[in-house]
Amino acid sequence: MAEKEVVILGVGITRFGRVTGRNPVEMAREAGLMALKDAGVDFRDIQAGFCAHVNQPMGTGADCFAELGMTGIPVTNVEVACASQSRGVMLAGDMIAAGIYDMALVIGVEKMPRGMVPLGGELSDMSYAFLMGLMPFPGTYAMTAQRHMHTYGTKPEHFGRAAEKSHRNSRLNPNATYQQVYTLEEIMSSRMIADPITMYMCSANADGATATVVCSREKAKKYTTRPVLLVGWAGGTPIYEKGEPMLAEGPTELLGKKVYEMSGLGPKDVDVAQVHDAFSPGEIFAIEELGFCPKGEGGPFVWGGNTEINGKIPVNTDGGLVSCGHPIGATGGRMIAELSWQLRGMAGPRQVSGNPKVALLHNQGLGGTNVMIFKM
Amino acid sequence: MGASEAKKKVPIKEGLFKVHTDEEEGYLIGSRCKKCGEYFHPKRVVCANCYSEDMDEVALSTRGKIFTYTIARTSYPGTPLTAPFITAHVELPEKVSVISLITDIDLDKVKVGMEVELYFWKAREDGEGNEVMAYAFRPVSN
Ligand SMILES: [Zn+2]
Repeated sequence: MAEKEVVILGVGITRFGRVTGRNPVEMAREAGLMALKDAGVDFRDIQAGFCAHVNQPMGTGADCFAELGMTGIPVTNVEVACASQSRGVMLAGDMIAAGIYDMALVIGVEKMPRGMVPLGGELSDMSYAFLMGLMPFPGTYAMTAQRHMHTYGTKPEHFGRAAEKSHRNSRLNPNATYQQVYTLEEIMSSRMIADPITMYMCSANADGATATVVCSREKAKKYTTRPVLLVGWAGGTPIYEKGEPMLAEGPTELLGKKVYEMSGLGPKDVDVAQVHDAFSPGEIFAIEELGFCPKGEGGPFVWGGNTEINGKIPVNTDGGLVSCGHPIGATGGRMIAELSWQLRGMAGPRQVSGNPKVALLHNQGLGGTNVMIFKM
Repeated sequence: MGASEAKKKVPIKEGLFKVHTDEEEGYLIGSRCKKCGEYFHPKRVVCANCYSEDMDEVALSTRGKIFTYTIARTSYPGTPLTAPFITAHVELPEKVSVISLITDIDLDKVKVGMEVELYFWKAREDGEGNEVMAYAFRPVSN
């Protein structure tokens, strides 16, 4: 099948964080209008809508889209935990590639519950680990980090360095929750949450919304001469491996290979990346699995400054989840927005030099993993 | 009856483990695939390795090694554990990984690869005075 080429035509984002008085529908409208204006399109051009969220009530998608216009288009809610919004963009990409639609809008929106995130479900339905409280939320990242330290000699300071870089980058990003630089020492001595993860290595709970206009390349010609192409995308869930504890939230390495093959690009071609760092060790795991450095060398690679904005492969240039905060269903759209701005040379003080041409996204959570690759 | 009615030991979640009695040692309940021999915990209906539905219920080994761990510094409200405590993936000889509490060791002494053994403990009492039992692993004593 001759597939149509897919373009990210416009992006939008609200300020992330706990801003009192904002409700989900208003945040969705703000991000949606920004994406439509960035794309230069009218809501009447949108043929399908996707709304990503995790903690909002049923019907949220229709309510959010109604704020932008009521043209009768189908709006579908998408839930893949922390990877929801980027999955919405992938679904829109699938449909546009197949020629079903020319243009779709994907909104991600989240107003996070206050206090400890409730686990949900009847007690009798909960796994033993949740029933006992054996898996505090950074538990999986912490256990993967401990295993990484045991196997490769990675140091807690390596994880701290990734967080220090993220907090420094977020000072250049007015949409980030954290607007403060923390020294490595402050990060290492902040409250221990689950060894080796300290408080400043954790993403903050945040409210926020993001939006992405996805379009066919043919249609995009009307609006731009410099389109950001979505040239590879793949989503997945964990794969059973004989005798291995299920630590991974998805087959990142496999998905990376798929998108490299689909796009004809490789890790060496990538100029800028956004990877999922709900907790800062995540940056080190992801860059290894995506092939930016050899297995086990992620710690020293980050320590050596290779993932800085001016490094060999800039990662999480906007501060990542750690500093931007994590409105679960909206996070993927923040990653797409940052990569779109980087490719278009619109990232301001965070701009990667040398006109980046290829950008990679890795967004994952309890619901699965997405890897996407964009090209200017 | 009355006072003579013995308090029962009931598992905090059915189907995961068999608590020890005076006659029998306790164990974690697993599945073994009759077709490919793969073991699982908790039990599975469909083998994740070969997709067979021909599974036996089995008692798993009571000793294993710590594959990885962390120290939880916060507790979830309404759960029986109070932080700080050690939580780990324990690898059993059947190549099954079990998430478990680790006890009877200082927080700074726990290590990947450490040999540990299963035991059961009373997490709380239910409304009828039964002992609600959970499992944990602790360093092998001998
Ligand atoms: Zn089998």
